[in-house]
Amino acid sequence: MFLLLPFDSLVANLLGISLTVLFTLLLVFIIVPAVFGVSFGIRRLYMKTLLKIFQWATLRIERGAKEKNHPVYKPYANGIIAKEPMSLEEEIKEIRRSGSSKALDAPEFELSDIFYFCRKGIETIMDDEVTKRFSAEELESWNLLSRTNYNFQYISLRLTVLWGLGVLIRYCFLLPLRIALAFTGVSLLVIGTSVVGLLPNGRCKEFLSKHVHLMCYRICVRALTAIITYHDRENRPRNGGICVANHTSPIDVIILASDGYYAMVGQIHGGLMGVIQRAVVKACPHVWFERSEVKDRHLVAKRLTEHVQDKSKLPILIFPEGTCINNTSVMMFKKGSFEIGATVYPVAIKYDPQFGDAFWNSSKYGMVTYLLRMMTSWAIVCSVWYLPPMTRQPDEDAVQFANRVKSAIARQGGLVDLLWDGGLKREKVKDAFKEEQQKLYSKMISGNHEDRSRS
Amino acid sequence: MGSSHSMSEEIQELAEKTGFTSEQIEHLHRRFKQLSGDQPTIRKEHFDNIPDLEFNPIRSKIVHAFFDKRNLRQESDGLADEINFEDFLTIMSYFRPIEMNMNEEQLDHFRKEKLKFLFHMYDSDHDGKITLQEYRNVVEELLSGNPHLEKESARSIADGAMMEAASICVGQMEPDQVYEGITFEDFLKMWQGIDIETKMHVRFLNMETIAQCH
Repeated sequence: MFLLLPFDSLVANLLGISLTVLFTLLLVFIIVPAVFGVSFGIRRLYMKTLLKIFQWATLRIERGAKEKNHPVYKPYANGIIAKEPMSLEEEIKEIRRSGSSKALDAPEFELSDIFYFCRKGIETIMDDEVTKRFSAEELESWNLLSRTNYNFQYISLRLTVLWGLGVLIRYCFLLPLRIALAFTGVSLLVIGTSVVGLLPNGRCKEFLSKHVHLMCYRICVRALTAIITYHDRENRPRNGGICVANHTSPIDVIILASDGYYAMVGQIHGGLMGVIQRAVVKACPHVWFERSEVKDRHLVAKRLTEHVQDKSKLPILIFPEGTCINNTSVMMFKKGSFEIGATVYPVAIKYDPQFGDAFWNSSKYGMVTYLLRMMTSWAIVCSVWYLPPMTRQPDEDAVQFANRVKSAIARQGGLVDLLWDGGLKREKVKDAFKEEQQKLYSKMISGNHEDRSRS
Repeated sequence: MGSSHSMSEEIQELAEKTGFTSEQIEHLHRRFKQLSGDQPTIRKEHFDNIPDLEFNPIRSKIVHAFFDKRNLRQESDGLADEINFEDFLTIMSYFRPIEMNMNEEQLDHFRKEKLKFLFHMYDSDHDGKITLQEYRNVVEELLSGNPHLEKESARSIADGAMMEAASICVGQMEPDQVYEGITFEDFLKMWQGIDIETKMHVRFLNMETIAQCH
């Protein structure tokens, strides 16, 4: 028995040492290529293996479902038709506006009002909320994340074991690794840029700054296991231009910045973000605004214009939607960035939801929860398309230009081009209005009619 | 629906006839099966299963439109008892959005078709004219959700609107002239210069957005 004790501690020591060594080796193995911007292709191999496993898992679920003769839940993202959630009044006003040339402040019943109800009726016949949920054909591949599985009862024992193994790998192996990488990346960024900031302005400083930025972003990319495919890299943004992209998550910044050297625009935050922002601006002229300045649109526009007109300054990175969208559509672009008059380089980013859903629903998850979710997914797979540059034509105004850019991005990324404001994400469009539909409509007509008959 | 070979041929045929893509036709077919309970035809009762449709004030007119033989491009008149998938698609094709590659003639034809669909909705006795009574019916239905609105108000609204329509179509009328009703030509005249075709369509989502990125 006495012999066991030293043996135990020996084993424990060995275990500890080997784990540490393994960990450090892994870190080095991942960070070194990031520093030099090369890739061993390990992530892609990982992705292919995962896909095979997912397919197998899906087949098992389908088999299980068939045995029990039940339909399998198929999450159609948004149904099959695009519904525009404008309110009844707005929509009817729009229909009338595109119709008669009469003044709009005398809205009485018009022949065109029937359009709205007719269309709504046909839409519900084509596709309604309730029946959207169930469908009896093939499931899209299940990606072994319980957050995306709605068919729990069809999981066999083998599948559960596999899923459990997946959880183990993700939380106990990948997560600490990723956190370590992220920590390294962020601290290198802060320290590196502060050091570079001490140098006098000149070519040397720029060169070093660029490489420090790129290196740290690449490490962060590996920290998320992001597998990114860049298309049309010859259209990458150049100095003196504005880079415009659709926005799905805060990770977009990391994805774009790891392939190009941009000047960021944004509001100064407190906390860790603030520290990073302040460090980073020492090495490279990013455009940060105080909270009070953000409200002043002219000031913002002025600063951006100044930055853009200096040809030696870096391209600015802007997300004109103003908020994170769920990556199936592109919403209204705010026109501010399009008024500045610089060349716009549109970029379309599309995430593959199979490996992990990158959309940040900021009303549902805080930043930390979101990052944890990202780091415990399998991987983040996305495609980035660099579109050819666009400039504002003399006969279009900022809004039309913004819409043109938006359509180009939506078309390239295969996203739906929607006209409504991303701000609606925070205000719920109530479904209960359907019942009020008729009441509202009749109030609208009769109320105005009474006014008229009174006058 | 038979073996896969004959199905894709049928889908091709339908695609050519109605202008939908084969993917959209597949989606709509699934929807058709859901509505009909896996039967080959749909009857009026099947539309009762759609809860969202209950809230629509002109529900009965919309359902009616599906069975209207004029909309189904059949020679005879009146109402069909049941419709098959091809008829279903025919009705849905009235709500297709405009395509970029349409020329003037096609656009014009498209527009006329959509307006005809609407005209048939108003003209419930199938006599080719929207009379005052039919107009009143539509207004009453649209305003039926509001219990406080009296029939009188609904009537006067309809009368006023009808008079306006008359003034557009016929111009100044003699005091004892009676305006019979809005014919389809008058209907078209009222909508001249107004592009309703951009409002009367249902957009399909591009299902290929769940694309493979690798």
